[in-house]
Amino acid sequence: MSHRDEHAEIREQLALLVAGALDSDTAVRIARHAATCADCEAELERWQLISSGLRRLPTPQPSHLLFERTRAMVGAQMVERAEQRENRTVLLLLVSFSWVVTIASWPAFRFATGGLLSLLDIRFHQTWLIFAIFSALTWLAGGSAAVLLSARRQQERRLAS
Amino acid sequence: METDAAVSQLRRGDLNALSTLMARYQNRIYRYLLRLVRQPAEAEDLFQQTWLRVAEKIRSYDPARNFDAWLFTLARNLAFDHLRRIQPRSLDEPLAEDSPDETMISRMASADPGPFDQLMASERASHLAAALENLPVSYREVLSLRFEEEMKLEEIAFVLGAPLSTVKSRLRRSLEQLREAFEKGHGSEVWQ
Repeated sequence: MSHRDEHAEIREQLALLVAGALDSDTAVRIARHAATCADCEAELERWQLISSGLRRLPTPQPSHLLFERTRAMVGAQMVERAEQRENRTVLLLLVSFSWVVTIASWPAFRFATGGLLSLLDIRFHQTWLIFAIFSALTWLAGGSAAVLLSARRQQERRLAS
Repeated sequence: METDAAVSQLRRGDLNALSTLMARYQNRIYRYLLRLVRQPAEAEDLFQQTWLRVAEKIRSYDPARNFDAWLFTLARNLAFDHLRRIQPRSLDEPLAEDSPDETMISRMASADPGPFDQLMASERASHLAAALENLPVSYREVLSLRFEEEMKLEEIAFVLGAPLSTVKSRLRRSLEQLREAFEKGHGSEVWQ
């Protein structure tokens, strides 16, 4: 590479040098060149003025009110999300509990009404049909209650806000 | 409290950790957003949205990654969504038509000079700030991340979602354009 080519290449790299975006070998090579080349040295000084100016631009300060307002807003959102998570967990537990009770109640129901069922001669596939109807009614009632409660709670929240 | 500890506590829903992180990053995030959108009211709105997004996404944050870069990525995405919604023409032009030399950053520079004046003449500072403000948003952004936030190139690449080579070339072009605007607007006496 001729001296002129190297000179041109180094000129192009000076901006990256002051931005700290060159590897150490290249940075050393450019620094050595600048030490022996008055033009490049002057050019490097100008780039350094730009660089130091950028690093020292005044930092705009957000208002204290903005900080407080944002913290309150995010805090409220976090509380609401935590409440939603808690509600989901409770709902999941309730659903699991309902299933356990539903399934466990069937043998008790059979035991209590065993004689009646024997008299009616209800067969195995019919018992499952009854079980399905029993479960569906139970879940329908539970689901309706959940929807009504949820709607009421949303309405209360809207009124509160 | 260290940043990592505060992030862990925030993931567990600790509001005090949120205050700690906000206090630590508020100036940087606000400055970065202001560099991007240039209007304080818009920067404030985006600042709020950024922290709402932090609270929303903190559970999906990978603690092995750099929190600064993750946070600035959230802020950047919100800012660029906002910039895409508004008229592109308004993005990269001087703020006030009636006083084209006066810009947001130059107004801040004259109002609160800070330590900058200790090393550089205030006139040159405001010229540089004005030149910066008139650069395209992608150039303002990369200069802010490198020189103000002092991020490593790898972190900038993460925030921009761009390869390292793109970051370097954008950094070089933005510096060259800044210098050109700096000299063009104010002549060779700016170096005196």
